[in-house]
Amino acid sequence: MDATRILEISDLWVSFPAYRSEPVRALKGVDLSIAPGEFIGLVGESGSGKTTLARAAMGLVPPPGVIERGSVLFDGRDLARLDDEARRSVLGRELAMVIANPRAELNPVLPVGRQISNVIYYHLGVRRAEADRRALDMLRAVRIPDAERRFGAFPHELSGGMAQRVVIAIALSCSPKLVISDDATSGLDVTVQTQVLDLLKRMVGENGASALFITRDIAITAHFCSRIAVLYSGEIVELAPTATFFERPAHPYSITLLAAFSHSAELRARWTRLPDAAADALPAGGCSFASRCVRRRERCLAEAPAPRPLAGGRFVRCHFPVDESVAAEGVT
Amino acid sequence: MLLLRYIARRVVFVVPQLFGIVLVSFFLVKLIPGDPAVMMLGPTASAQSLAELRDRMGFTKPLLQQFTRYVTDVAHGDLGTSWQTTRPVTEDLFQRFPATLELITFGLLLAVAIGFPLGVAAARLKRGPVRKFADYYGLLAGAMPDFWLALVLIFIFYTVLGWIPAPLGRIDMAVLPPPTITGSLVIDSLIAGDWEALRSSLGHLALPVLTLGVINAGPILKMTQSMTERTLSSDFVRYAEMCGLPRRLVLRQAVRAALPSVVTIISVLYGFLIGGAVLVEMVFSWGGAGQYAVQGVLNADLNPVLGFVLFSAVLSLVIYLVVDLIYFALDPRLRS
Repeated sequence: MDATRILEISDLWVSFPAYRSEPVRALKGVDLSIAPGEFIGLVGESGSGKTTLARAAMGLVPPPGVIERGSVLFDGRDLARLDDEARRSVLGRELAMVIANPRAELNPVLPVGRQISNVIYYHLGVRRAEADRRALDMLRAVRIPDAERRFGAFPHELSGGMAQRVVIAIALSCSPKLVISDDATSGLDVTVQTQVLDLLKRMVGENGASALFITRDIAITAHFCSRIAVLYSGEIVELAPTATFFERPAHPYSITLLAAFSHSAELRARWTRLPDAAADALPAGGCSFASRCVRRRERCLAEAPAPRPLAGGRFVRCHFPVDESVAAEGVT
Repeated sequence: MLLLRYIARRVVFVVPQLFGIVLVSFFLVKLIPGDPAVMMLGPTASAQSLAELRDRMGFTKPLLQQFTRYVTDVAHGDLGTSWQTTRPVTEDLFQRFPATLELITFGLLLAVAIGFPLGVAAARLKRGPVRKFADYYGLLAGAMPDFWLALVLIFIFYTVLGWIPAPLGRIDMAVLPPPTITGSLVIDSLIAGDWEALRSSLGHLALPVLTLGVINAGPILKMTQSMTERTLSSDFVRYAEMCGLPRRLVLRQAVRAALPSVVTIISVLYGFLIGGAVLVEMVFSWGGAGQYAVQGVLNADLNPVLGFVLFSAVLSLVIYLVVDLIYFALDPRLRS
């Protein structure tokens, strides 16, 4: 194993068996690694496999899904192959998850303070009183006003932003090495979203932990990720340092994503291919983005592109990446 | 404070609810064919004496007048007399309801003791012998009539093995029952420190309680299993798994979340068994309330029937109030 990698995903294939048809492939050969202290953004639309990737990283591929090929190593260990007890001692302690919809996912009948304290109590083996004290400290650390009173509050008594802070407190209570945030702020107001993200970034940073920010909102990643990975249909189609990504996106899908946030209708129109009847009739075996790509050519329909390196430490899965050098030779 | 206000509001609503119940059941019972006068005086009575008796009992008056008369009596705590026992219905019921309640309370306790753990185990282990056993048990308990099981149990434990006293009543004829305090012979014997009465009453309770327990464990098992399965696949359990909390704690949280539904099914069974245990009462000559009501229906003895309905209604209302209070305790979301 590589000691400089906290998470090492290599050639990961995850599929879900389907009744009387081909299994659905949620992840198709994903490669991704995270260095200690690094923040990576993973962007993709609904159904692209973001959540499956997060679950696979924890060794908890949701049943009936199976890892067909490849491996996920967290700190050198394959969580999917660890036994139940050993995995439980890693999850929540070394690898923590920040979830999207905390008011539905926190235990509705347990006071939130107790839920933080439980994680500390069972992972760190401290006495209950000490766990409670640390839990209260965590509530203060995530800037929950009137923390003593909120300690005994139930999830339904908290606002969405407040519940999100509780989940961050749970995630960071055992000083994990890696924090995975799965669309953590998607349900919040924009202003609250910024506050929560800043808090999350600051606290993960103070811990010296790495983070994988999974999101649908590409703007979020711009603020604090050093690299950005774009997931489309179970494949990472582009992986690039943040600055490069925003200046010179290489994959047509990345540009479509960025254009979606742009104010220029002209730009959006230029990069959007509306789904047409022909899209369904495309032959199998081509590029997975071909049906929506404004730049597709014969080769894209026949041959699936392999990831290839570009200048500036980028990887792109495209035959004709949008890049000056490549574009010059490709576009005639 | 909030709780007291809630209880007070519920209690206030009890009066109109009871009035509605009396209204419906009075007219329904009056629809039952049969002439109590004929039953009381026998087939050889003269037409004149029959008419006199009907007149004396108020059966010749208009129905509405009979009803207002009955309601007035009930409001004064008088449920009329039973012509079969020639005693006030209130007295009869106060003697018989504890017998039924003792039976179904112990029966349901046994049912919970069987159904709940089995349901949790079956929900947790999706494959394997425990799950199979639970599936078959649920099916069998649902398919077996309780009176039939009662007869089988009597055959095995009384006729063949002789471990159990004769299935006649609640206590041996030769044993002096303990002084009545709660009405439950077991509890009263314990209070009186009367070991012989305790042994005898437990012996008589064993088979009917076993019957009710085995049969009613079925629905409790099914409900526990399906609700625990549901909570085990719920969002908060998935999150608890992601947090790496111990398996035992996660299971406990899931079971805890399934409890309200289990409480519901228990309360429904309890309310149902007040009258529904009557076949078991018959088989064991239990002398309970259900038996009393059925005899009333068969012999056109209407006051016991109405009294029984009223008693069961009050009891059901109490049960549902208690259940609501348990919900409050179990689910903080209801408190606010």
